[in-house]
Amino acid sequence: MARLLVIEDNERLAALIAEGLAGLGYRSDIAHSLADADAALAVAAFDVIVLDLGLPDGDGLDWLRARQPAGEPPALILTARGGLEDRVNGLDAGADDYLVKPFSVEELAARLRALLRRPGRRAEPVLKVGSIKYDSTSRSASVDDRPLDLARREADLLELLLRRAGQVVRRRSIEDALYRLDEAVTPNALEAIVSRLRRKLDDAGAVGQLHTVRGVGYLLREPDQAR
Amino acid sequence: MKGSDSIVGRLTLSLTLVALIGALLLLLFIGIEYRMSFAELSDASALPAIIHELTEHVVIPMLLLATPMTLTGLWAIRRALKPLEEAARKIDAAQGQSRGVRVEVESLPLEAKPFARSVNALLDRVDVAAAMHEAFAADIAHELRTPLTLLSLELDQLDGAKSEQLRLDVGAMRRLIDQLMLLAQVDAERAAHTSPTPVDLVELAGDVVAQMAPAALADGRQIELNGENSGVVPGRREAIAAALRNLVENALRVTPAGDTVVVLADRPGELAVRDGGEGLSPERLDILVQRLRRADHASSNGAGLGLAIVARIMAAHGGRLVTNPDRRELRLIFPLC
Repeated sequence: MARLLVIEDNERLAALIAEGLAGLGYRSDIAHSLADADAALAVAAFDVIVLDLGLPDGDGLDWLRARQPAGEPPALILTARGGLEDRVNGLDAGADDYLVKPFSVEELAARLRALLRRPGRRAEPVLKVGSIKYDSTSRSASVDDRPLDLARREADLLELLLRRAGQVVRRRSIEDALYRLDEAVTPNALEAIVSRLRRKLDDAGAVGQLHTVRGVGYLLREPDQAR
Repeated sequence: MKGSDSIVGRLTLSLTLVALIGALLLLLFIGIEYRMSFAELSDASALPAIIHELTEHVVIPMLLLATPMTLTGLWAIRRALKPLEEAARKIDAAQGQSRGVRVEVESLPLEAKPFARSVNALLDRVDVAAAMHEAFAADIAHELRTPLTLLSLELDQLDGAKSEQLRLDVGAMRRLIDQLMLLAQVDAERAAHTSPTPVDLVELAGDVVAQMAPAALADGRQIELNGENSGVVPGRREAIAAALRNLVENALRVTPAGDTVVVLADRPGELAVRDGGEGLSPERLDILVQRLRRADHASSNGAGLGLAIVARIMAAHGGRLVTNPDRRELRLIFPLC
């Protein structure tokens, strides 16, 4: 169970976030000020920080920037500042993601899942989206617990898409990750790998999860379900 | 008398009066000098002589005096009023621009300067009021976000048929708040004259498509990027991205499920969005774009202020938003440099 630190001065909002996330399998500690947050971080290890920007004892961005050398855990900013440059400023200050109020618990949970899937110290070794599972240490994939036979690049691609599930992964960054610098990449090579991977996923029962966004990249989604 | 409403009319009227009074005085003077009386007028033989005398001493001098006076007067007035006309034209031309319009006082005739200064003072007050209005809109939008978040999170805990509708309503409010903030910011940036930076339109379009694809797919619509010829334009990246995002949102709303929204980066300095809707006529686009100016906010379907904001962002970049209903396209056109 992932453990979060929610830094939010509005008590009711903090409680609602914690409550909503508890239903989705996250345990949240609440800090109402930056001082509380520092105290909490000193005594416990957290997987993700959820940070509101306007806090009674300072600005969340400055706090984040000052903490930056410490590096972890990843931080997601919650803010009422939805301006054009605010997102850029937030990411520059060392935030890993940025969510503008108002949001739903589902949206927040989806962002948290994406953060926890990122490669890094606390990345989970087993990635799971719907019925697709990938163990990044043994590099083995399965659908509904039935093993999937993947070529090296297909497996690399699947891992990349799983780590950023729900988001479009741009063509160029896939090519950069799959091929060495000195390897020539023909325009159709990636498409061929994607279509082979898609066929294997479809055959195994994970139908319609791997999408092409033409001209931009690829995206792996949770299977559609009635909400 | 209608003519007296214009300065030229007044001048003509007063010059006519001067001529008439002059003619009467001259007539009187001549009458006294030549001891002519009205009695002699009845004498038929004397009449031509009298008329000759009057023409020579009254009509010709008056015409010689009055004609150049009228022409010079007209010329002087036209010349003096020219700067006022210029100033009026400038103010009219600046209609689309909300801030910083001023009358140039120096070029105006002395008599018109106090008036021009008062107009400028009024424009100053209008600008200050506009700035306050924008800041107020941004503040309101900002302050609304937290209660709206609470509402949205409380809704997440509710089940039932009603809660889904309420969630949609919260979503609509959130869109409106986003648009208000965006609008306030675009205007503030324009007022501050932020300098533009080179923006790679193809790369920007890719970002916007990547950002919007997950939600589009979740709604059963495809989205794709076509072409890579748009090149680089000077501008404000986040504002242009917001404009394109608004167009894509609009396109997703009118495109039936299962269809595709296409973002086109097909021509230099241009980006377009093709949807699966019925196409938007130029007249209809005009109405939607004018909504901000007319303060006509009676929107029912959530189309909101999106297109009006896009048009304003484009205007801030010296470009325009055009529609091509036959191709079901809305196109952003930036000036080529």
